[in-house]
Amino acid sequence: MITDGLLVETGPALLATVDDGPGLVAHRRRLGPRRTASAAEVLAAAEAVGLRGRGGAAFPFAIKLRTVLEGSRRPVVVVNLSEGEPLSAKDHALALVAPHLVLDGALGVAHAIGAAQVHLALPGERPGVRRSMFAALAERHDAGKVRCHIASPRFVAGQERAVIELIAGRENLPVTTWRPAATSGVRGRPTLLSNAETWAQLGLLLQGGVEAYRQLGTDSEPGTTLLTVTASGQPRLVRETAYGVPFGTAVPELVAPGRAGLVLLGGFHGTWVSRKRLARTALSVDRLRQIGAALGAGVVHLPPAGQCPVRRSAEIVALLAGESAGRCGPCRFGLPALGAAIGRLAAGTADATEVARLAALVTGRGACAHPDGTVRLVRSLLGEAEEEVRDHALGRCSYGTLGVPPVRGLAGRRAAS
Amino acid sequence: MTELRLRVDWPLCSGRGVCHELLPEVVELDDWGYPVVRGPVPEALTDAARVAVRWCPRLALRLVP
Repeated sequence: MITDGLLVETGPALLATVDDGPGLVAHRRRLGPRRTASAAEVLAAAEAVGLRGRGGAAFPFAIKLRTVLEGSRRPVVVVNLSEGEPLSAKDHALALVAPHLVLDGALGVAHAIGAAQVHLALPGERPGVRRSMFAALAERHDAGKVRCHIASPRFVAGQERAVIELIAGRENLPVTTWRPAATSGVRGRPTLLSNAETWAQLGLLLQGGVEAYRQLGTDSEPGTTLLTVTASGQPRLVRETAYGVPFGTAVPELVAPGRAGLVLLGGFHGTWVSRKRLARTALSVDRLRQIGAALGAGVVHLPPAGQCPVRRSAEIVALLAGESAGRCGPCRFGLPALGAAIGRLAAGTADATEVARLAALVTGRGACAHPDGTVRLVRSLLGEAEEEVRDHALGRCSYGTLGVPPVRGLAGRRAAS
Repeated sequence: MTELRLRVDWPLCSGRGVCHELLPEVVELDDWGYPVVRGPVPEALTDAARVAVRWCPRLALRLVP
């Protein structure tokens, strides 16, 4: 179905109810009343299915939960719906078609661990998400502990620490962390923060049980994952796929003719991967790591065939430099410098030496992962498009698009998409 | 004894460079004058590192295990 400009396909688990609509009555008819579980039961279930966070880092949920449970103060639950990655739309889609599954997960776990509050961080630039979540909350009688917050419409606002700052009433920007959020997050409380898909997976796990959850996927990675497939000129498509399926089967768009040789996996903070190699690789967090790629937040971006990846990367880095909060020096000055260096490479007026030097220089030096994510993209370009990069250093471009690419901000891009 | 490392609170740091002046063995400066911490603090320099932490004009430096 098409909703809020997104194409959302019916899926095997999380997206099974797309055609039922987002209402509570239909949701309960399908999944029954909200089950209650103890903290130990939630932990055991998360461990039994090896649930990993779906926000990008794929961190094991059980480890996070265990840390939260070790705290002495009452914990806080945070549902991060802000989805800062502009190409990603999976949390957006979940909010529209299955808001009660997200809330079942968050409220179920909050009840199990005796959480003091449940906070929702809603995206400022996606009003449809806000409307749908407000409507869903109004239907429920168990949402008394829920507080909503509107995130700033910018890339870094969705980062974990930025969301915790927002909830605390401060500026929605990343700050330095000395301890993990699971130990000390919202007002110093142990904080269980995950993105909407992770909570929806938990909702499904709590309602359906471990056995049903393990019916899909593989033994080592049970269940499903959400992907956002984007191609220029087409609406963003959100699809649910079981783990273990080859990418070429899960995303047949990969093997369709008229596509470029490289695919951007994971979004603007993701990695360039050869389209053919990706099509043969299983949809698995571990397998992707082995080939040096990462699923990130689940974005599969298919550029048009005639687009030069060096030029495209230069555009993205320039855009990401503009998205820096400007508070950490290495990011504030380093990303524009990196953008300029890769721009010179795209223009065929310099080699990649300076790009590689600056990429190494900004890595790991900031309050959030914005510089690191940008560097990940740049490094994957230097690796996957080695030949094209070498050609550019010699003043040649096989796509015939030498020249400094125009700089476009995220605001303009969002308005256009 | 656990190895100590210097950590920078990046939003606070404004690149005054005092840490580099006091502890050039561990802290270099980047193109824009912000600190680049090269590895853990050698035991012999622990006291010097503490001085650098104390003298940071932005209180943006910490010594952590």
